[in-house]
Amino acid sequence: MIKLSYATAIFIFCIGLYTIISKRNLFKTVIGLAIMESAVLLLIVTSGYIPGGVPPLLPMNGVAVNPLPQAFTLTAIVIGASDVALALALVIKLHRRYGTVDLDKIRGLRG
Amino acid sequence: MHRSSVFFRLATLLFCLCLGWWFWKGIEALEHTGTLTGPAVHYVARAAEETGASNLVSAILFDYRALDTLGEATVIYTAVCGIAMLFSRSKYRKSSTGLSFIVKRGLGFVIPFILLYAAGIVLMGHLTPGGGFQGGAVFATMTILFCIVYGSNFEAARINPKIKEFIESTGAVMFTLIGLVGLIAGAGFLANSAAGFPTGRVGSVLSGGTIPLLNIAVGMKVGAGLSTIFYSMVKLLEVKYEDAVEVDRP
Repeated sequence: MIKLSYATAIFIFCIGLYTIISKRNLFKTVIGLAIMESAVLLLIVTSGYIPGGVPPLLPMNGVAVNPLPQAFTLTAIVIGASDVALALALVIKLHRRYGTVDLDKIRGLRG
Repeated sequence: MHRSSVFFRLATLLFCLCLGWWFWKGIEALEHTGTLTGPAVHYVARAAEETGASNLVSAILFDYRALDTLGEATVIYTAVCGIAMLFSRSKYRKSSTGLSFIVKRGLGFVIPFILLYAAGIVLMGHLTPGGGFQGGAVFATMTILFCIVYGSNFEAARINPKIKEFIESTGAVMFTLIGLVGLIAGAGFLANSAAGFPTGRVGSVLSGGTIPLLNIAVGMKVGAGLSTIFYSMVKLLEVKYEDAVEVDRP
């Protein structure tokens, strides 16, 4: 079961990477970034799982799962939200300057 | 090579599949012992008596690794500063007049409960799942709902952006001052029970030493920060102004 969770994380990560590489629309690139972030969060949470574990809340009936990756995940969620917001702000500024969010049409970024 | 060509897409897909297979090989090499390892053993065994909080994630976030949380709050502050700086030249435009009368009244009924929910999440962060970050996000959701339902003019008139900045800065200063209290007591920056804060009885509302105070500080910071981010972005939208069907002043 834990392998399935890891496989899901890898699959979502690859979807995000494919989105970032293949899409020309900058908004879709930012969405790909967000998808990759969620995959990483899933990976971190899964790494702290213990088979049959209970949530790390007192009183505990049984063995608790590792609370440390969950605390890290909380940190990563906030940082992810702020960097997606900053990236979207930059995209809005680009759209105001060039009138498009297509990477190929933006002058200087033609490839 | 053009990005929309079939060959490029196939090459990208192949690259992603190879990378995924490589990751899978790495994951298979990990060993799952099925027991706690590292510092987590100490946290699970001793967190209740050392901090007085019954939510272990909160205890780790705001006691053992509170300096990490301070850095994380700084990341939000930096993002807010960056976004506000990017949009500093743009002028405020009337972007919308809000939705219909029914939606406005309906939101009026729901708002007190959303406020209560957010305050509950922030204040009970040391007992149940939740805390400053989650509760602050719910607070920010409320201002976004105001902006959508009543129109952004209403939101800007009732909740001054200066006040949001003040609340955010107050949260940051409060967090640092609570940390300095620990330093003055001679126990180190952001020390909790070692600095003489009463931990209380595990499970009661008044427990956990500095953890509820830090939760409130972070909640103020995150709520005001996310709200400022949304406000900075939405004031750019150029929606064509149309006369409202019915004019009411909520």
